[in-house]
Amino acid sequence: MRLNEYRIMWVLVLFDLPTESKKERKVASEFRKKMLKDGFTMFQFSIYLRHSSSKENAEVHIKRVKSFLPEKGHVGIMCITDKQFGMMEIFYNQERKTKATNPEQLELF
Amino acid sequence: MIKKTLYFGNPAYLNTRDEQLVINFPGAKGIDDLTKMNTVPIEDIGVVILDHQQITISHSLVAKLLANNAALITCDHTHHPTGLMLNLDGNQLQSARFKTQADATLPLKKQLWQQTVKQKILNQALFLQKNGINHENLLKWSDDVKSGDPDNLEARAAVYYWKNVFCNLRLTENSSLAFHLTDFKREREGHPPNNLLNYGYAILRAIVARSLTGSGLLPTMGIYHRNQYNAYCLADDIMEPYRPYVDSLVYNIVKNGEDFTELTNSIKKQLLSIPTMDVVIDEEKSPLMIGVQRTTSSLAKCFEGKLRKIAYPRFL
Repeated sequence: MRLNEYRIMWVLVLFDLPTESKKERKVASEFRKKMLKDGFTMFQFSIYLRHSSSKENAEVHIKRVKSFLPEKGHVGIMCITDKQFGMMEIFYNQERKTKATNPEQLELF
Repeated sequence: MIKKTLYFGNPAYLNTRDEQLVINFPGAKGIDDLTKMNTVPIEDIGVVILDHQQITISHSLVAKLLANNAALITCDHTHHPTGLMLNLDGNQLQSARFKTQADATLPLKKQLWQQTVKQKILNQALFLQKNGINHENLLKWSDDVKSGDPDNLEARAAVYYWKNVFCNLRLTENSSLAFHLTDFKREREGHPPNNLLNYGYAILRAIVARSLTGSGLLPTMGIYHRNQYNAYCLADDIMEPYRPYVDSLVYNIVKNGEDFTELTNSIKKQLLSIPTMDVVIDEEKSPLMIGVQRTTSSLAKCFEGKLRKIAYPRFL
């Protein structure tokens, strides 16, 4: 199967943007909005994720995020395989939570 | 890139927010706006299948799906695909492409049809070969196809093919089904597994039609099919060599002894894997959905006179 956990990538964007003045807050929320429009979902405050079906597709979205980086602030962009992403352990109030299922090529609702 | 296939078989509310498709279930089953895990980026979607009478879809979502060149398929209460909605303006060079397609000369269309039939018969032969059924005559017919297929070898090959394709499958438990397999007739309203073939071909037709609009061609104007009641003549022409891929899926479902009188969820799931099947074009392997895009873009080049050969897959 060509759509396996080694080929699928997750793009992580980690950012800290200044939110002192009104203008800075506006810039920060615009950046966040653009990320949402590009298909990122919030994992934690200021950590956003996007599922990409291949390395090439991940490159596209990384390039897009780079194209609307805010002037000020600290942004990290990282790319990991679905295999690595799947090994993440998630806790809520010390309780282990299962990760939401992955988007697949075929989804039946 | 390979786009997503979304299938909705339950009541759902579909709308859009921030260029994402948002899914909400009435009486949510964990997929609703509270979890925030209910969105799919519209640009990643290739095919959407609506297969429930209680699906509500917003018009802005429909518009965005079409703008991103997704195919929207609707099904009736018997779960068979009945409608297909496509983008009208899927390509930069839209009107130039329409023009080359409309102006295509008869000899050109005949040659393209010859290539199509040749590859279709060859693929049928290779499929029979894979399952150990006699196929020598198909190989010969594939070589003999002339420009425009005046001898109608396509039909002759089809008769032989359908007579033999399921004949070596033995069903033990259900004798009436077994009888229809040994005496199989390919008819739209025919006995099972015709229902599975119809379903699979409908998905394939949607993929091909979507891809044609993406290459800036009109799926309506065929190179051979001229049925005035059919809105997807060109899609029907171009999907011919791809049909054996659907046949092989259906063959395997029947072979595995699943009950195929009804379209169950497990069967649908298998038939909906059509876009991700491996196809090989000029020694290059790719998912079927991508392969179809290569085929349609080569067809557009043929109409423009930049290419002489359509890139069709070879069944393996």
